[in-house]
Amino acid sequence: MPRVRIPPAELSSPPPAGYRRPVATFRLQGSKVLAVDVTGDAVRAKNGSMVAYEGRMAFKKMSGGGEGLRGMVTRRLTGEQMEVMEVRGQGTCYFADRASDVTVLALHGDKLCVEASNLLCSDGGLRTGTTFTGLRGGAGGTGLFTTTVEGSGQVAITSDGPAVVLRVTPRYPLSVDPGAYVAHQGDLRQSFQSGVTFRTLLGEGGGEAFQIRFEGDGLVYVQPSERNTVGGDV
Amino acid sequence: MPFREINSKVVEATVAPGQRMFSQRGAMLAYRGDVTFTPNTAGGQGGVMAMLGRRAAGEAAPLMTVEGEGTVLFGHGGHHVQVIRLAGDTLYVEADRLLAFDGSLEQGTMFMGAQGGVMGMVRGQVTGQGLFTTTLKGHGAVAVMAHGGVLELPVTPERPVHVDPQAYVAHHGDVRNRLSTALGWRDMVGRGSGEAFQLELSGSGAVYVQASEEKL
Repeated sequence: MPRVRIPPAELSSPPPAGYRRPVATFRLQGSKVLAVDVTGDAVRAKNGSMVAYEGRMAFKKMSGGGEGLRGMVTRRLTGEQMEVMEVRGQGTCYFADRASDVTVLALHGDKLCVEASNLLCSDGGLRTGTTFTGLRGGAGGTGLFTTTVEGSGQVAITSDGPAVVLRVTPRYPLSVDPGAYVAHQGDLRQSFQSGVTFRTLLGEGGGEAFQIRFEGDGLVYVQPSERNTVGGDV
Repeated sequence: MPFREINSKVVEATVAPGQRMFSQRGAMLAYRGDVTFTPNTAGGQGGVMAMLGRRAAGEAAPLMTVEGEGTVLFGHGGHHVQVIRLAGDTLYVEADRLLAFDGSLEQGTMFMGAQGGVMGMVRGQVTGQGLFTTTLKGHGAVAVMAHGGVLELPVTPERPVHVDPQAYVAHHGDVRNRLSTALGWRDMVGRGSGEAFQLELSGSGAVYVQASEEKL
């Protein structure tokens, strides 16, 4: 069955009466709980993140990092093991993860790169995969691989504190702390830059030895908190 | 109403002469006026058997009596605080989640086996709630702690609510709860979805759920 493409304005507004949309709707219940209305379709959520539901729901464990045998090999090799469950049913399901803040965003055919631990829930029609991030992951303390989400639909990501969305345009590139980086979407190139000088080597660094630089056109999500990173110590 | 929410994590309580209030021991942050704090070891009513029951079940939260005239600020561990107002109905809550409550409320202990027999006891063990839970009944307000904010979900006879036992905080009203299992062969081979046990609440009332799966 072909999936109906929804214009962005309709994503946030309630569906008109008598019209049953084949896609689950995501809404925020406060800043830390995500409510998803499902009508027979499926969403993918982080394992064990359900806190409550109304109606009938079935939970089934899936494996992240792509489908099939290739996905399995990728997961084994990369260690980016996303523990995912498929939620299917009729009603409203509430998700939350360790009291972290939730941000809902919409994808319209573009790609979102996010840490597996920060991905709370995604529409069943979106494709997930794993990509190599290079040095950034190593410095960010999140591993060398990251999860990608592609397609059209809604995604919910979590962050420690409310996430800040920063726009990147070709004229205004952006540098972020690897420990505060959560996700990015759009057509962005990332490079790793280091501010290591001889002072750093002497132990007189400012605690901001590494940054990720984003260039191109897209959005970067940053959390107001820093994970423990190698860069933060020097 | 004696409780006023200062922010999401601190509540201010007003104490007047002749009005008692109970709070978790050590939860006072600051106070104004002439207020005394006395630890109460007996902890609530219900006679000797209820006391023994609480002792055996570990449901004896160290409480203190707050008396005098003035205002007291309560907060604990940086947890979010939710004020629940009771109008004659009963609130079921874990003792360690209680921050403070009106002295006019009738305190009691409920044996899990009393609702659902053996399955009730199994439920208490599985959900980590233990064999006993605290009940508060009457007219007044209760300040309950939760990790990361509380969501209130109404329960109606047509719409039962299923809750993750780890995210369950409290419930009130005429609600029956039952442990429902969704154990499949996948859980047996260690490929479970992490949602094998759920509390099914049916009847009429409300259930409070926290935005986290961590116990206090």
